[in-house]
Amino acid sequence: MNCKDFENTIHELVSRRLADKTKQLDALEHAGHCLWCALRLDEETKLTEKLHAFASTLQGQRAPARVEEELLRAFRERNVGSNAPLFGLGRKRVGRGLRLGLAFAAAVAAVWVVVSLWPRLHPGSSALPSRVSNNRPPAASAAPRSNLAPAPLTGATALTSRKSGGAQPIVQAGSLERVALDESANEVATGFISLGTCDDSQCMAEATLVRVRLPAEALLAFGLGTDSDYAPEGFVQADVALASGGVPFAIRFVN
Amino acid sequence: MQAGDENAFTALYRRRQGGIYRFVLEISGSAPLAEDVTQEVFMALIRDSRGYDPSRGSLAAYLLGMARHHALRFLKRDQTYVPIPQAGDSSRDGGDLAPASDEDPHSAMSRRETIHSVRQAILSLPGHYREAVVLCDLNEMSYEDTAAVLGCSVGTVRSRLHRGRALLMQKLTGGVKAEAGNEAIDPNRCLA
Repeated sequence: MNCKDFENTIHELVSRRLADKTKQLDALEHAGHCLWCALRLDEETKLTEKLHAFASTLQGQRAPARVEEELLRAFRERNVGSNAPLFGLGRKRVGRGLRLGLAFAAAVAAVWVVVSLWPRLHPGSSALPSRVSNNRPPAASAAPRSNLAPAPLTGATALTSRKSGGAQPIVQAGSLERVALDESANEVATGFISLGTCDDSQCMAEATLVRVRLPAEALLAFGLGTDSDYAPEGFVQADVALASGGVPFAIRFVN
Repeated sequence: MQAGDENAFTALYRRRQGGIYRFVLEISGSAPLAEDVTQEVFMALIRDSRGYDPSRGSLAAYLLGMARHHALRFLKRDQTYVPIPQAGDSSRDGGDLAPASDEDPHSAMSRRETIHSVRQAILSLPGHYREAVVLCDLNEMSYEDTAAVLGCSVGTVRSRLHRGRALLMQKLTGGVKAEAGNEAIDPNRCLA
């Protein structure tokens, strides 16, 4: 062993970590005939003794009892919270799951409501034809529209029938393109469109309204687009005003 | 302990807390910091005891590694590694250095001075040397466990320890070369 090897093993030697007995003897033998290494060994041994003396003064040092109390309290709280299946945090977890479920259900319900009410809350922007703006009953002077009369009746399905009784005469059109018919049913309708088959005042006084369902194409006959909100499912509902003789003389589309 | 056994936790705490507390006290010189770090280590263990992987080292090394991490964090936050000694602070001034009943006053004084100087010398070491000296020499940990605590190789531990001890010797005795008459010794004479 030379001084370099000795230097590499000196710490293990003085700290008694050198398990290899042969190496240990070699190191001690080297220190026996090398003054420098003997001094180094003496110096390292003294340092180790000082360090051990210092370490021994700290041997009794412990964390104060309050730390243990604090930790045990935290451990109990944590344990109660995490392990109890029905109480403590277990119940909190159930509650959190319930809250999440309710929130999800509420979100689904809100989406469903919005989707279902969207057509009613946002009726289409299809403009009514200018002739609908007429706020007068179908004028007798209006040209007969015999070519339009059959169209509404084609495939029409009568839904309801009621006497108008003059309660809902020709609707103000133009600025009021839609009026509420039945608030409970959220119905709105266009103004009455004259079919030109009857005098206005007499007809409206004795008119009978018949609720019919028509193909959406019927809107085209009156200049309305089939993509209108009045025909969301390919059909359009309409109120047909019938004169006393059963002759239709006006129509309005209902949403 | 993972099953919520309070006795197991208490046993673990009482077995390990002393080493953690002393380790932090030795590297920081601050009893309040050692107390805080000890509590923090076991709080972390309560929060997540699954963090320990036996295949990566002993539990003692794992806990000391956590303590080192927290201590460094606290010290970095406080921007001080060596606290200013305060009058009456027994934790920094050898609180357990009361003379033994059969020790004469001169010996007690000498011993007290020696320990105080060792403490100051250790605290004045650069951090990575100090950690190696504290773990290997004061706590007598193996190089492998020290390497696990410090997160470095065994070779690095040996190197840091060697350098740290050399610095300690310089601070405590001035080293071999400083001693009178030693200059004549050629350290390279045996290397050939």
